[in-house]
Amino acid sequence: MTTLARQQQALLAALLEWPSERAVQNLSDFAYGVGAHAERGFKVYQANGHMLAERALRAAYPVLEQMLSKESFVELARAYWHAYPPVRGDISVWGAQLTDFVCQSAQLSHEAYLPDVAKAEWALHLCACAPDRETDIASLSLLTTEDPQILGLALAPGLVTIASDWPLASLMLAHLEYSPSFEEVARQLRNPTPQVVVIWRSGFQPRLRLAMAGEVNLLGALQTGIALEPALEAAAQLDFSHWLPMAVQTGLVLGANYLPIPHGP
Amino acid sequence: MAPVPLPQGACFTAMTMQIGIGWRHRHYEQLMEERPKLDFLEVHSENFFAQGGAALAVLERGRSRYPISLHGVGLSLGSAAGLDLWHLEQLANLVDRVDPVRVSDHASFGRGVIRNSLVHAADLLPIPFAVGALEVLCSNVHRVQERLKRRFMVENISAYLQWKTSPEQTLCEPAFLNTLAQRTGCALLVDVNNIYVNALNAQLGGQCDDPLTACKDWLDQIGSENVSELHLAGHCRVNDSYGEIVIDDHGSRVCPQVWELYRYAINRFGPMPTLIEWDTDVPTLDILIDEAARARAIAEQVLTVRS
Repeated sequence: MTTLARQQQALLAALLEWPSERAVQNLSDFAYGVGAHAERGFKVYQANGHMLAERALRAAYPVLEQMLSKESFVELARAYWHAYPPVRGDISVWGAQLTDFVCQSAQLSHEAYLPDVAKAEWALHLCACAPDRETDIASLSLLTTEDPQILGLALAPGLVTIASDWPLASLMLAHLEYSPSFEEVARQLRNPTPQVVVIWRSGFQPRLRLAMAGEVNLLGALQTGIALEPALEAAAQLDFSHWLPMAVQTGLVLGANYLPIPHGP
Repeated sequence: MAPVPLPQGACFTAMTMQIGIGWRHRHYEQLMEERPKLDFLEVHSENFFAQGGAALAVLERGRSRYPISLHGVGLSLGSAAGLDLWHLEQLANLVDRVDPVRVSDHASFGRGVIRNSLVHAADLLPIPFAVGALEVLCSNVHRVQERLKRRFMVENISAYLQWKTSPEQTLCEPAFLNTLAQRTGCALLVDVNNIYVNALNAQLGGQCDDPLTACKDWLDQIGSENVSELHLAGHCRVNDSYGEIVIDDHGSRVCPQVWELYRYAINRFGPMPTLIEWDTDVPTLDILIDEAARARAIAEQVLTVRS
């Protein structure tokens, strides 16, 4: 290992390992802080890291922040920063493992729905920066003229569905859109019923709602690239004539398209 | 050191000065509506690495009205662990999409290995001004320029930590940066506030009697042919239980001493694109525009006298 690599390893360890006393002691063999006292400069970097952790997680997990107290969220951000430090120079991609971290946290175990909330929030975060897709409403006329065996539906960027044992849609929407009320969510939590949420991007706006009966099957089938007809067969509970106009209006369906003709062996 | 002589017949005026501001989230809409007179906008490259979404659309709108300068904070050019090729690819994609006037990052590192895993501290951590670090920095800058197929700019940082290095293996910061520019052909982005912050902290540590003079000496040692942009920003002084320190927080107006150093830098380097940076507690747009106007007025005055 080169001298430079050893120096850099010492500083990174002092900043990211926790508890950090040994690593900070080791760093003093390589460097000293500037300012009035030798340790002062190091504290600037340490504080920068902790502040950045809070800011980055607050941006990606606003509902989780509301659900925890401010102190708990700050503590969570710091603990996560040290347990799963960033690996990229783009801080917006840091935070993917927070679901696992919350799952493993003994302090948060009494709120068993928190991992699902974190999972939904990360999906919303990814959805916001998913590659754009063109909307082609006119192409939907193909649905009236062509065989649904050869057609697919173009779906919104960032589309995912998440199944939860908890009233996840209610929990999320109460915090994001203030409906349902917190009283209603509390009532649902007393006798929790599983909910599935649909997450997608409408224009530039990430959206989340409760999935309709059969919708998850339809969306899952369409995402695998199969034709509309077999996809609808997999979603017998879904009223397609009711669902399609709503899905188009909310940007979930962007158009219809011909599927590639499969080549023979 | 005296100002670098102008080429014969050269007469630099405000027409050749480019003044820009950091374009941050708070002003995305307002700036597009008001379209103030600015010569370029600077954005942080990493904020636009996504392949789609609102931020990228905003940047493309901005690009249709102003030249864009891409300024990175995460490339980790001084990392002994090498560049993150994922990061470089994201930057290359963004450069292709935006066609910026300038692309830059810092003479720092954030990436390295601990516990056998690659990590990134997401900060501009200092590198020693030593021969080994220079080799690494040159190699990484070469690689960036080859991938981007353009001249890259490297900025001096504010450092809150100094490495213990052997004197015979260590250069002064300007010599280190000059050598980097000479070996790689990259340009230097001189952050005037960073020089001053470092000098103030050296003063606190008893290593510097006169920060302004030390900064002017620093500027005198930088080869003017290497410089392509200047940065101006505010800083703050913190005095808490850990002691006193000056922090480059980009959270206030440029202080009088940094304006004085800016005058000195323009007199020495000539008409340089100049950026007003403000990243913490971002103020109203009119304050940023006012700072930009002040930079323009100072540069114009210096260049008029100089010519």
